[in-house]
Amino acid sequence: MNAQTSAFPNIHEIWVYLSGSPLLALVLTLGAYQLGVIVYERANRHPLANPVLIAIVLVAATITLIDMPYPKYFEGAQFVHFLLGTATVSLAVPIYKGLDAMRGRIVPLLAALLAGGITSIASAVGIARLLGADSAIVGGFIAKSVTAPIAMGIAERIGVSPTLTAVFAVSTGILGAVLARYVLDFVRSREWWQRGFAIGVAAHGLGTSRAFSVNPEAGAYSSLAMGLHGVLGAVLIPLGVRVLGL
Amino acid sequence: MMPGLVQILLFQGLGELITHFFLPLIPGPVVGLILLAGFLALRKSVNAPLDEVATVFSRHFGLLFVPAAVGVVMFWPHLKAHAAAIATALLVSVILTVAVTALVLKGLSRGPGK
Repeated sequence: MNAQTSAFPNIHEIWVYLSGSPLLALVLTLGAYQLGVIVYERANRHPLANPVLIAIVLVAATITLIDMPYPKYFEGAQFVHFLLGTATVSLAVPIYKGLDAMRGRIVPLLAALLAGGITSIASAVGIARLLGADSAIVGGFIAKSVTAPIAMGIAERIGVSPTLTAVFAVSTGILGAVLARYVLDFVRSREWWQRGFAIGVAAHGLGTSRAFSVNPEAGAYSSLAMGLHGVLGAVLIPLGVRVLGL
Repeated sequence: MMPGLVQILLFQGLGELITHFFLPLIPGPVVGLILLAGFLALRKSVNAPLDEVATVFSRHFGLLFVPAAVGVVMFWPHLKAHAAAIATALLVSVILTVAVTALVLKGLSRGPGK
């Protein structure tokens, strides 16, 4: 009877061992993302088959199913989370490369960025309040048009939920990637650089990859818009929230 | 690739230190980003290892916010109760943002030369 236990090590024991180490959370996170990427490729990179969204749903469903408390999952996955800051710093490279594109267009670009950024916050916060969402949810809307890694940093500084901010930011990116072309056609925006910049302001990274797939000039300006919105948002949103006492 | 990563981590650390002591309102990595962009502007070029790391990161940015976003499970009942408000706010806001940005660009660049 003793031989039996040594030949088949207790499943429960393996489970306890694995769930105590970061390995499980890491494999889960990376595996879910990889699956998301595969689905995305199969769907011809359609924005609705967004790999991040797929990964979030898969991981959330799995930890709910195996009854793993979220804080425990996060403890393991925090190694991935830590790299967010590092990746944010690396955004300096595309921003630097995009600065050339600003030459001669600084005024319209910055004015459009400010107008777009304010519209994004005012409309989302206003509508959510009007329709009765509570302050936790309304807070999540404040930084949602900023690229998610920076948006989460802003959320931490202004004391709202980084999680809701990230989820709203990803949703915004997906909606923007899908809808932007129709909106741009509707307002008769014809220049590629203007179309790209508008997508980048509203829908950050996901909009940018969409823009690149349509036209390289639109992609470059979208990337520039995303970077500038991130930097200006990180400086102005905490200041604005403090001054307006939101 | 390694020298690039080290360079980025150094700027990240510098950014964190500066925000910790002088600028508590701005996220540390953003200060690191601004410093690194300034450094690149001074050098007038991006070295290859740095470019390589930046490309890898930009390709898989999405992966990095999965752990935080999964926290949405803790908000689930909350989100369900306000689903209509959230969906409306997201949808209308993104449409208005694209439209306003594009219209301002169009309006301001109609001058001579364009």
